Amino acid sequence: MVRAYRPPDFQSALTIMRENRAIPLAGGTDLMVSRRRWSGLSPFFAKPVLFIGHLEEIKRVEIDITNIKIGSACSLASLLEHREIPEVLKIVISQMATPAIRNIGTLGGNICNASPAGDALPVLYAMDASVVLQRKAEIRTLPIEKFITGPGETVLKDDELLTSIIIPKKSYNVGFYRKVGTRQANSLSKLSFQGLARIEEGKISDIRISFGAVAMTVIRSREIEEILIEKSGKEIEKLIPEVSSLYSAVIKPIDDQRSNIRYRKTISLKLLRYFLRTVLISKIG
Amino acid sequence: MKGKIGKSIKKIDVAEKTGGYARYIADMRFESMLHAKTLRSSKPRAKIKGIDIPEIPQGYYIVDRNDVPGKNRVKMIVNDQPFFAEDVVNYIGEPILLVVGPDKEKIIKILSEIKVYYEAVKPVFTIEEAEKLNTTPIYGEDNCFADYEIEKGDPDEAFGRAAKIVENEYRTGYQEHIYLEPQGMIGIYESNRVTVYGSMQCPYFVKNALIQGLGWGGDRIRVVQTTTGGAFGGKEEYPSLIAGHVAFAAVKAGKPVRLIFNRKEDIQATTKRHPSIIRLKTALDDHKKIIATDVDIKMDGGAYSGLSNVVLQRAMFAATGVYNIPNVRVRGRAFATNNVPSGALRGFGGPQAFFAIEMNMHALADHVSEDPLDFKIKHMLKKGDHTVTGGVLRQDVKLDEMTDMVLGMSDYRKKYDEFSKNDDQVLRGIGLSLFYHGCAFTGSGEKDIIKAEVKLKKREDGKVLILIANVDMGQGAQTTLRKIVARTLCIPVDDVIYENPDTDVVPDSGPTVASRTVMIVGFLLDKAAQELKAEWEKAPEVEVHKVYEQPGYIRWDQETFEGDAYPVYSWGTNVVEVEVDPVTCEIKVKGIWGVYDVGTAIDERIIQGQIEGGISQGLGYATIEVMNSKDGKILQDSITDYIIPCSMYFPGIESKLIDSYYEYGPYGAKCAGELPFIGAAPALASAVQNALNVQIKRIPVTPEYLMETAEGEN
Amino acid sequence: MKINFILNGKNVWVETDPLKRLLDVLREDFGLTGVKEGCGEGECGTCTVLIHGKIAYSCIIPVGAADHAEIMTIEGYRKTERYKALQDAFAEAGSVQCGFCTPGFVLAAESLLREDARPGETAIREAISGNLCRCTGYNMIVEGIKIASLKGKGLW
Repeated sequence: MVRAYRPPDFQSALTIMRENRAIPLAGGTDLMVSRRRWSGLSPFFAKPVLFIGHLEEIKRVEIDITNIKIGSACSLASLLEHREIPEVLKIVISQMATPAIRNIGTLGGNICNASPAGDALPVLYAMDASVVLQRKAEIRTLPIEKFITGPGETVLKDDELLTSIIIPKKSYNVGFYRKVGTRQANSLSKLSFQGLARIEEGKISDIRISFGAVAMTVIRSREIEEILIEKSGKEIEKLIPEVSSLYSAVIKPIDDQRSNIRYRKTISLKLLRYFLRTVLISKIG
Repeated sequence: MKGKIGKSIKKIDVAEKTGGYARYIADMRFESMLHAKTLRSSKPRAKIKGIDIPEIPQGYYIVDRNDVPGKNRVKMIVNDQPFFAEDVVNYIGEPILLVVGPDKEKIIKILSEIKVYYEAVKPVFTIEEAEKLNTTPIYGEDNCFADYEIEKGDPDEAFGRAAKIVENEYRTGYQEHIYLEPQGMIGIYESNRVTVYGSMQCPYFVKNALIQGLGWGGDRIRVVQTTTGGAFGGKEEYPSLIAGHVAFAAVKAGKPVRLIFNRKEDIQATTKRHPSIIRLKTALDDHKKIIATDVDIKMDGGAYSGLSNVVLQRAMFAATGVYNIPNVRVRGRAFATNNVPSGALRGFGGPQAFFAIEMNMHALADHVSEDPLDFKIKHMLKKGDHTVTGGVLRQDVKLDEMTDMVLGMSDYRKKYDEFSKNDDQVLRGIGLSLFYHGCAFTGSGEKDIIKAEVKLKKREDGKVLILIANVDMGQGAQTTLRKIVARTLCIPVDDVIYENPDTDVVPDSGPTVASRTVMIVGFLLDKAAQELKAEWEKAPEVEVHKVYEQPGYIRWDQETFEGDAYPVYSWGTNVVEVEVDPVTCEIKVKGIWGVYDVGTAIDERIIQGQIEGGISQGLGYATIEVMNSKDGKILQDSITDYIIPCSMYFPGIESKLIDSYYEYGPYGAKCAGELPFIGAAPALASAVQNALNVQIKRIPVTPEYLMETAEGEN
Repeated sequence: MKINFILNGKNVWVETDPLKRLLDVLREDFGLTGVKEGCGEGECGTCTVLIHGKIAYSCIIPVGAADHAEIMTIEGYRKTERYKALQDAFAEAGSVQCGFCTPGFVLAAESLLREDARPGETAIREAISGNLCRCTGYNMIVEGIKIASLKGKGLW
């Protein structure tokens, strides 16, 4: 039986991390499943566990002029209820798992779990989110794509805690999200697509495109997005084949028990084209 | 009780279940009860060369083949499945031994230290491999658990004069029951007797399995059903195996032993619906009329025979669906493979057959450029027609009336025409299926095999006890059977007592399967109640005993499969409307309508529950319930990966019953439990076919399959 | 670790491994067998409890995370008027078949109705989307919740 700590406050949590290199557990909705054993027995953890889900310091949402800062232990449900959380993020969260999971699961947990199919990730990539990582006497901030390095892999150090997620305030006038799972609700993604854009004076002034569950990590390419900047509807229409084939080169899904390579890739590209043609161009007019 | 019997009453068990009072098997505790965990084969097919067992601490036990005092075979139609593997294993998950003891942590440790030495044998994983068979057979010489043929009329002659011959092949996949309560048993050895408590459909199947496994007289064995959290066929034959396990363990340890499956284990090791390949060759004449059909049904039976031969028979008897085809040849084979044994699941061979037949009818209509519905209607069975087995449809067949009703409810004709004009923006479609379910055991099984017995007992306090072995597994038997007895006796329903069956107390009224409980057992109870009513005043306590008698009209030859395959049929028609996402190929069900002939409904709301639950499970089977076995291992072995419908998946269902009465059912009731499942998949697949204008040839109809089919046809 | 919480209205504590599943603590230490285990991975909803009035899956919550929480299981909830309204509505609508999922659905309904006393069909379907039922096909449960919200007027 490993030790488990329930620190009274955030500073004590950092001390425990330094001294024990514990596994942080906020909601536990992923960890308790992956570590589970025979019913009646405690789940298996090789290292001590640190409960952080109750720490008020990392359960706040703070807003300033440029950023929205979301505490890592905020439950998904609490974010849906929060007035300042951007609608594009709420659309994604409202389709994550089930009400009972959203009551307990946290945004920080979904990020640290670092699943290629993590539902919150594509929109966070698209919104240029960064994560704040803290250990005793050190705080660092990293863009989310630098934080997640592979399936289940992050650069989180073993005495470090993810404390908050920073989302730059931006206003988009086009948003399109599609999660494709086996069932309309309550199922893991086969693939997902996130498109965000700002259209000004008939041209695209800002565009972000990301794909979930079709590569080792979420796919977002600023180089490809750059091609579409300052383009009109007609120009985009012409660029669709090129953009499509550029994304096709980086979309590298797998076959598994939920879907297959061919479907994941084909549908990802179809959603891309749908976004560009049907959503974006029709909006530009 | 006045008025129609069908008027719904409050279900007897609502309060205890809703309030969490009901005790399911995992909720039961006994003094000094031990836990058991199964060591399972990790190989699909191998010889066991040896097993290293670590030193076992005191109070812990290994229970294996050597602890089976009687015959190490689970009593089934064919006795081929051992309780514990002997020298070979035939599927991944096959039980080899149990580790039993008081502490779960220690049990896990012992399990991890046991080493099994396997010598691999070339396995068989698919129907195709089983048919070609380039390894030693798993079963018999031809590797078939069953190989049957039925013939009606003169198919060769008819094919010889055909204007057109069309061939189609259809495939159906696995389906897992996902009863919400996993399998579980507790065995107790006390005063030289064994008692087994558990979640089950058939207490006497379990008892008979224990008689054979223990090699004891029936008087030393008691089986008690605990409130059962769903079953759907999954707790028909499988519980016999694990009842044996806990019984042998209890005898060895001298203490109560509990074996409760976790979900993963339940999905990996228990039975599933048989995957099938069904090939239909159909001969049409110049008038676009079917004159003959040749049907080849192949099923994956898994590693042991189980109920495969009867599942296969049901599929074969349904080989022409609800259509009158004069010349028929049906061949059916259930193959042995090194997959987990297939078994009973709601519909029992019917869903596979009806999917293939309904889609084939649709394809034939397309082929001869006729409207699929008109094509079906012109071939529809009528009263007096002969079935595949030459039986006569003696009771009313109201398919035309039912079809009219469902067409009206769903506005099918108008929608079908509108949706057939394909425009690419919104892909909508509508489909209709026609189907039946043969009520109760096939042929004269009720008379020759089951021989049901029931008892009714009036107690001194005026209450009446129903003494039968049938269980309520959610389908409402506790309520419907009480209603029947109460009405016949003219007493309040609350004065009728019907406890979970205990084989020490109840006679063998047969298993709770084959949609037979109300029609067969309910009818016997009705007759018993009539007799009890006549003798009510004779003594303070009166007991009546009734034994099943076959209705005089039934003729059946089990050797040649000739005659009445079922005592009677229940009928159904189902319409499903869908929308297919043009980008992702995802299917959204937009409307569901059904009309059913189940005879008299004993309780309309309970029937509605059977209809809605059956359709939902059937639509899951048709769409999202993907289960594949790779190298003998089930890939979707959790509820996360094996997806069943949730509350967001389907819209409301509109269903109606038509008036109908069966003389040999209680108050005119026939069967209802399995029927509604059967029509869902073909209705859905037809709707998708209408939406996309592609031929659907397999279920589940996944977006992956639709995308590939659409790409293939472009 | 000693863990304190409010269980069905009473202050209780348990000395146990804080990583133990709340489900096991409720069933084994407190004998609350109305909380079921159907999957053990937060998918089926048979282990649903209310934590601070909101539904949660007790099979994936370590009991240590529930320290100082207010937990309600069906055993506590069934003593309330609201429960009675739901039970009657479930009986009327035919929402109960095998019953293994039913306590979970009742608690999911409570969690919904306390936020929205007159929910529409979509809200009901969404609220119970994390509770699986294999018997009913859901419509009759949705109907039961609708009836409870109408007949239990004033209770929520």
